[in-house]
Amino acid sequence: MIQAFAFYLFAALVLASGAFTILARNPVHSVLWLILAFFNAAGLMVIVGAEFIAMLLVIVYVGAVAVLFLFVVMMLDIDFAELRSGLVRYFPLGLAIAVVLAAELVLGVGAYRAGALELGTPAAETAPLVGEANIVSIGALLYGRYLFLFESAGIILLVAMIGAIVLTQREARADAGRSQQNISRQVSRRPEEATVNTRPEVGQGVQL
Amino acid sequence: MELTSSLGLIAPEILLSVAGLFLLLVAAWAGDRASSAISIAACVVLGAAFFLVAPSVCAGAAGLETVAFGGQFRADAFAGFAKLMIYAAAGAALVVAPAFFTRYAAMRAEYPVLVLFGTLGMSIMVSATDLLTLYIGLEMQSLAAYVLAAFLRPDQRSAEAGLKYFVLGALASGILLFGASLLYGFTGTTQFELMRVAMAGPISTGTLFGIVFVLAGLAFKISAVPFHMWTPDVYEGAPTPVTQFFATAPKVAAIALTARVALDAFGTHADAWRQVVIFAALASIVVGALGAIGQTNIKRLLAYSSINNVGFILIGLAAATPQGASAMLVYLVIYVAMSVGSFVAVLMLRDEDGAPVERLADLAGLSRTKPALAFCLAAMMFSLAGIPPLFGFWGKFVVFQAAVQADLVALAAIGIAASVIGAFYYIKVVKVMYFDEAVNVVRDRSDWAHWALLIISTALMSPLGYLLTGPLSVLADRAAASLFFLV
Amino acid sequence: MTETFVYWGMDPDWAWFLATVAGILLIALPLMLAVAMVIYVDRKVWAAMALRRGPNVVGPFGLLQSFADGLKVFLQETIIPTAANKGLFLIAPIITFTVALMAWAVIPFNSGAVLANINVGLLYIFAISSLGVYGVVISGWASNSKYPFFSAMRASAQMISYEVSIGFIIVCVVLWANSFNLNAIVWAQKGHIFGLINGFAFNPLLFPVWVLFLISSLAETQRAPFDLTEAESELVAGYQTEYSSMSFALFWLGEYANVLLMCALNATLFFGGWLPPLDIGFLYLVPGWIWLFAKIFFFFLVFSWIKATVPRFRYDQLMRLGWKIFLPMSLIFVVIVSGFLMFTRYGA
Repeated sequence: MIQAFAFYLFAALVLASGAFTILARNPVHSVLWLILAFFNAAGLMVIVGAEFIAMLLVIVYVGAVAVLFLFVVMMLDIDFAELRSGLVRYFPLGLAIAVVLAAELVLGVGAYRAGALELGTPAAETAPLVGEANIVSIGALLYGRYLFLFESAGIILLVAMIGAIVLTQREARADAGRSQQNISRQVSRRPEEATVNTRPEVGQGVQL
Repeated sequence: MELTSSLGLIAPEILLSVAGLFLLLVAAWAGDRASSAISIAACVVLGAAFFLVAPSVCAGAAGLETVAFGGQFRADAFAGFAKLMIYAAAGAALVVAPAFFTRYAAMRAEYPVLVLFGTLGMSIMVSATDLLTLYIGLEMQSLAAYVLAAFLRPDQRSAEAGLKYFVLGALASGILLFGASLLYGFTGTTQFELMRVAMAGPISTGTLFGIVFVLAGLAFKISAVPFHMWTPDVYEGAPTPVTQFFATAPKVAAIALTARVALDAFGTHADAWRQVVIFAALASIVVGALGAIGQTNIKRLLAYSSINNVGFILIGLAAATPQGASAMLVYLVIYVAMSVGSFVAVLMLRDEDGAPVERLADLAGLSRTKPALAFCLAAMMFSLAGIPPLFGFWGKFVVFQAAVQADLVALAAIGIAASVIGAFYYIKVVKVMYFDEAVNVVRDRSDWAHWALLIISTALMSPLGYLLTGPLSVLADRAAASLFFLV
Repeated sequence: MTETFVYWGMDPDWAWFLATVAGILLIALPLMLAVAMVIYVDRKVWAAMALRRGPNVVGPFGLLQSFADGLKVFLQETIIPTAANKGLFLIAPIITFTVALMAWAVIPFNSGAVLANINVGLLYIFAISSLGVYGVVISGWASNSKYPFFSAMRASAQMISYEVSIGFIIVCVVLWANSFNLNAIVWAQKGHIFGLINGFAFNPLLFPVWVLFLISSLAETQRAPFDLTEAESELVAGYQTEYSSMSFALFWLGEYANVLLMCALNATLFFGGWLPPLDIGFLYLVPGWIWLFAKIFFFFLVFSWIKATVPRFRYDQLMRLGWKIFLPMSLIFVVIVSGFLMFTRYGA
């Protein structure tokens, strides 16, 4: 009973916050609705027993990715009037695309119902590791059967990181030395190197 | 035990990744001053990887002992053959780069590192026998390529090329993934061998859609028509050493990958994908040939030429026979050598300030001002056109021969006809260089590394290249046989 | 507790529901009381370090000061700036407060005395604490005022930066304890050193990790010396500038509940949680929750001590410490700890 209730609660909230993500007029509100959608999707994951995925969803998407989204969107200076100005002009096209997509969905579901498509049966069904927490099973698979792919995926992320740095750090490098501080020099600086005691005559001013 | 043997099979990839990580650390600590040292080290690493792979190619490795990680990866002679080409092409891209980038004060230590990681991705691509491996390798290669295309970021054209390549590449990845998910759904597996088994019998509509989407995604990566539109812009905008890299190594990797997917995973349904490949081949040949005619920029012209060449390579694939695959590999070797040669020649075209000369009109009368360079470039052009005494002819010949043997006579005939059209613009370049009024724009002296590469590739393209046909065809036959060796 | 309710003849579903609600109240209400007292302690310690008296008027020794403050804010008018984004402005303190309470669900107070004994407890805490930033960011943005906005920017950058190294620190602990369940982590610390001392912090490999964790938890809770989000000399009161009355009080409560949570995590992950400090039989006669509370209180004194004595970091120093020192250090310790375990526990 409680599971069904939780499922409908989370599912309805996911759908509603997804809709509000699109409908909200203020982009900051959109991002916040998106976060709510992520959070409820994590709740759905918990219900199907994938608690590790659920936690990752919250940590990675809600805790890091969406914060950066919010960070950027909050600092943007968006002209809402201009954003909406194209709506009337593109509305017929958008409507046409929506109709086509809806028709495709109906056709697809209809075809599936009619049994025209034959889904293949999975050839190599893996036996689930019985009695293990799913975090253990995921770890065993990632570092066992999919070791090679997992490590390669790590290298892909590394390449993306190198790329981002190569493409954006150019300007900073050009004037290195001016903008960067040498922390160890700052810390090791002593008062006697930085200050000097003088005893100026009254009314003479200070010679520096 | 299985892990140990698998690690042995991916030794070249391990070498590349460890070297890439190490050189990245060197680059981080030593900065851009060390970039030429890192380039040299990266070349040495590529050479070492080359010699790690070479034995398996010579021995024609095939069968169960080449399978690693439970069927996700295969280090057979076919993959090895492609890897040899990739490592050599990547090495060439590293050799020509320092002289080019130092003129812009833009030689950065990350360039060789990115090339190494891109090469690693290609290496994984050609060995992929699982949709997951395929995608991982493809993305690793693509991400490195996007960054390399935009490497001269202050240059607007380079930044535009990077962005364009990235957006369209992401779209192509999406198409590929969509196809892959369909295939997984309808066959229930991501491994090529199991997929071939699952596909036995009449083909379902869903699987067919999956095949078409996967091939479309891959066609983007090999820039086959109708997914070629990014090629001229990216080739023109990217820095020339990077363009040379794009025209060679990733193309080899993507074509080898396409061949493996088509012949291995979809092997039982050659009739299903053959029409797609035949269409892409013919369209590429025709569009490549016609599109090149109006070009005034030599890099754009070479981009269309590469589209045209991909068409001929796909003819070999369309045959769906070991002869076809072998012909494809032979053509690829020749194509890589021709591309390296022609792009090195383009790199050497510079005016007195050292700025690159890319306009075709500025080449007028090059034979009087720079006779050696003009001669080499002319040899490349004739070879690309497939004019008989030059080695470029041999590639076209074996491909057409394979097509005829596979009863694709009409395809071969149209291909031959289109190659005659293609010859027009190659010969136009030669005409501009040899018969037009000299404008004397190209003046700058060239780096010795450029000359060395140009001379090597010209020698390969000269009739001397025919001395290689024997060993080349033996190795290519073995490689193709390993692709058809059912596990 | 569910069994007791069932024993009293209740429907299992309702029993579970009631038991959970009762558990939540059993944690949340004492926690609120603790927060009130701890604010008093904080002020007393701070005053003592500055040679002042601190609160000493309301009640004996000023013990009731926090309640007087609470009554005051409760009776005040809630002021909402006209330019503020009203809904978000009011939601922000509620988020901070709720999130600060949510994480307590998985903290074990004794063997088995835990509201939700889930097997990814530590990940849950990590996930919830990563939500904490939203209260600050939303309040900063919704106030539509420049100092709160700067504060929100700082908070999001700061919390993300330090969460990265906290994640790696947690990995070290999890590797050693071989579980994400907090109760299992506590059990793994029993007699950890020579079968005598309970707690990972006394392990030479994990001691530096604990030091990293202590400092990161200061940064994560935005306590001095990392209280850049409410640096009064630059940002008035940071993200709370525009808040008054109960909404302000909710921030206040949430902040201290978070501080207590971090103290509880220090105790649970590195000092044996509800286990007594030494693995000697008669010490177990004292209930576990008393040991846990003692440890939490000890760490809270450490937090107050640091607040009273250490000057505030500059923003760039904070970022540098997080990304250039803590991140590499914690990564190195993940490698060292996993390497050590690989060679000792799993026999290479």
